[in-house]
Amino acid sequence: MSLLRRFLRTPEAVAGALILAALVAMALAAPLLFPRDPLSIAGPALLPPFQDWSLPLGTDRLGRDVLAELFHGARTSIAVGLAAAATSIAIGATVGTLAGFAGGLTDEVLMRITDAFQTVPGFLLALAFVSVVGPSLAVVVIAIALGAWTGPARVARAEVLSIRERDYVASARVIGMHPLEIAFREVLPNALPPVLALSSIIVAAAILVEAALSFLGLGDPNRVTWGGMIAEGRAVLRSAPFLSIIPGIALVLTVLGVYLAGEGFVEASAARKRQS
Amino acid sequence: MSDFRISRRGVLAGSAFLLASTALPGTLWAQTPTKGGRLIVASDSEPRNLNPAIVASNGVFFIASKVIEPLAEASFDSKDGLEPRLAVSWEGSEDGRSVTFKLRENVTWHDGKPFTSADVAFSALQVWKPLQNLGRVVFKDLEAVDTPDAHTAVFRFSKPTPFQLIRNALPALTSVVAKHIYEGSDIAENPANTALVGTGPFKLAEHKAGEYYRLERNDKYWGEGEPHLDEIVYRVLPDRAAAAGALEAEEIHLAAFSAVPLADLARISKVPGIEVVTKGYEGLTYQLVVEINHRRKELADLKVRQAIAHAIDKDFVVKTVFLGYAAPATGPVPQNDKQFYTKDVPAYAFDPAKANALLDEAGYKRDANGTRFKLKLLPAPYFNETKQFGDYLRQALAAIGIDAQIVNNDAAAHQKAVYTDHDFDLAVAPPVFRGDPAISTTILVQSGIPDGVPFSNQGGYKNAEIDALIEKASETIDAEARTGLYREFQKKVVEDLPLINVAEWSFITVARDTVKNVSNNPRWAVSNWADTYLET
Repeated sequence: MSLLRRFLRTPEAVAGALILAALVAMALAAPLLFPRDPLSIAGPALLPPFQDWSLPLGTDRLGRDVLAELFHGARTSIAVGLAAAATSIAIGATVGTLAGFAGGLTDEVLMRITDAFQTVPGFLLALAFVSVVGPSLAVVVIAIALGAWTGPARVARAEVLSIRERDYVASARVIGMHPLEIAFREVLPNALPPVLALSSIIVAAAILVEAALSFLGLGDPNRVTWGGMIAEGRAVLRSAPFLSIIPGIALVLTVLGVYLAGEGFVEASAARKRQS
Repeated sequence: MSDFRISRRGVLAGSAFLLASTALPGTLWAQTPTKGGRLIVASDSEPRNLNPAIVASNGVFFIASKVIEPLAEASFDSKDGLEPRLAVSWEGSEDGRSVTFKLRENVTWHDGKPFTSADVAFSALQVWKPLQNLGRVVFKDLEAVDTPDAHTAVFRFSKPTPFQLIRNALPALTSVVAKHIYEGSDIAENPANTALVGTGPFKLAEHKAGEYYRLERNDKYWGEGEPHLDEIVYRVLPDRAAAAGALEAEEIHLAAFSAVPLADLARISKVPGIEVVTKGYEGLTYQLVVEINHRRKELADLKVRQAIAHAIDKDFVVKTVFLGYAAPATGPVPQNDKQFYTKDVPAYAFDPAKANALLDEAGYKRDANGTRFKLKLLPAPYFNETKQFGDYLRQALAAIGIDAQIVNNDAAAHQKAVYTDHDFDLAVAPPVFRGDPAISTTILVQSGIPDGVPFSNQGGYKNAEIDALIEKASETIDAEARTGLYREFQKKVVEDLPLINVAEWSFITVARDTVKNVSNNPRWAVSNWADTYLET
């Protein structure tokens, strides 16, 4: 049975995949459905949802279209989530492979650095980094990756430690391949699957961290973000709660979707392993 | 039972009294104040230096004004808008070189020592003039303070100084501190800057960092029968949403300085037992201003500045950002100022088409994306409203082809970026009008101010004509002539737009209806609250 069919068998996975598909569709459709700047003023301020069908989800305190903001916010969330996951897995896999394959002093030094990063709460690190460098999308991605690369590094190292004793690695050594070539062409590709399994958790965490940073006013102010929308809605929480609730629901669904799909993927691949 | 019987005559007499009472001015008709009680107030900050003689700011006054008093306080209906406090009368000389204050007798400091003219002389020469943020400007030519007797202080100026300016400065700039406490010490570092000793109706009893300030009744206060309250407690509630909740839960009695967000006022005003008061801040008008960096070649062009002024819909700002709790501005002096304001200035109506035409005329054509040029916009982070106006301004500028990128900073970084590094093109600022343009308004457009002075002209603007007007007004003694010069000043500023005044706003007090005598002067939140009481 193929991985995909196995994946589609678990109902959670399907639910997760559907949510993610909807999210990606939202992100891709945003510039087509809402070509105007989502931060532009579209109508009267604080219009409640479902009153005016040209503004189905209402407007915020300045009269901006909440639906347009939601769609464009999906772009930011997905972009940050994927970029942060890719960055942290790239850093983590490299560090882990080097540490595991080289061993000795290199291993010690790299893993103590990893330990050091792991002892500092990732969110605190991101907060400090963004407040020093200044908020922009790239900075936010780096800030999140800064706290998230340690997990992949540890998993990659553990995997590499077992792979480097395999016969094909020994044979590569015998034919005189450069150690770095062995590490990154022979070992790393085989060590990667379990590391990739971490990616769903990292994407979900990254989306949440980005939202939290925006909520604290440390997001990019020239972009719509869900966290920023929630923060703006907070001032009118008692009189217009929908402004915080709508992006909040979007955030919860997204993280849930990423998580469910990731779980489903891990389950499916584990089942394949059991069968083979 | 007979005690409860309602007689017809009694009802008639009662209603007649009610009718009469509504006809009387509020100050004359007052029920007997209840004695005692503890007033609990929301406070959003804990200033590092609590000495109002050094730091003349509202955050400090809010607490310290109950402990340390000025020479005179602002008033709604007294002569020149002033009511005596530590001074009972004041008079300026013809030549503008001296002002004579008669001081109140039988006043003692909280530590029991008598208050005399030596304290006033010391405060003026050693504190207000050299150390105070605003006093440095107003008292710059103060040469000496003569003390012919214990209750007379004569201020002598080296250059003619307008009496009108000194008068307008009395409420905010003349908090008197005790000579015997500060003399011979490093005044800026004296422990009494946090453990205040004053003459006011309340003594500072206790401060628990992060929790509260507790003020106790001064039994020896000079005001007859005052203060009414036994205690005032300032509960530190930095979260704005918390103040509204605490009021509704009756944990606090009063939240001043718009501690309850504007967006929440409509809802909370309907809660029984809670009153929303918009009065009591007339002497502390904030102005919403777009600061312009004239070093940018596009912004140095008057047509571009006019275009920006035409692109801003002031009514929308008042209605949406301030939810109606503000007024559109016409120029650098707010409309609620009775002495100086003139409406005889050019107006910039909201007109994006005209703004676009002006920019075309200035030679900044739209490119393929519809953008003429890019700007860096720094909204001041101090108020929700300044930040929201920043969001609005970005959109208003986009409509006329100017791409403004918002840069958010915290308060310290914002001040450094704008007032020291000049790393901005446009900034949103909330300067305060303090009753006289010479106190903190002319500094916004005057040239030659050193780098790093906050809330001053750091946009590199220089206009010899406006500088000359400011200079001339600063030495014009005659109040009428001086007022005329400031009217001219307003006109010139609005013509040349060194900055753009968008709106004027003040704060809102939300209080339980048991708190009486709220907002009965134009600086109520920062006045001494000697007559405030809690009805039981």
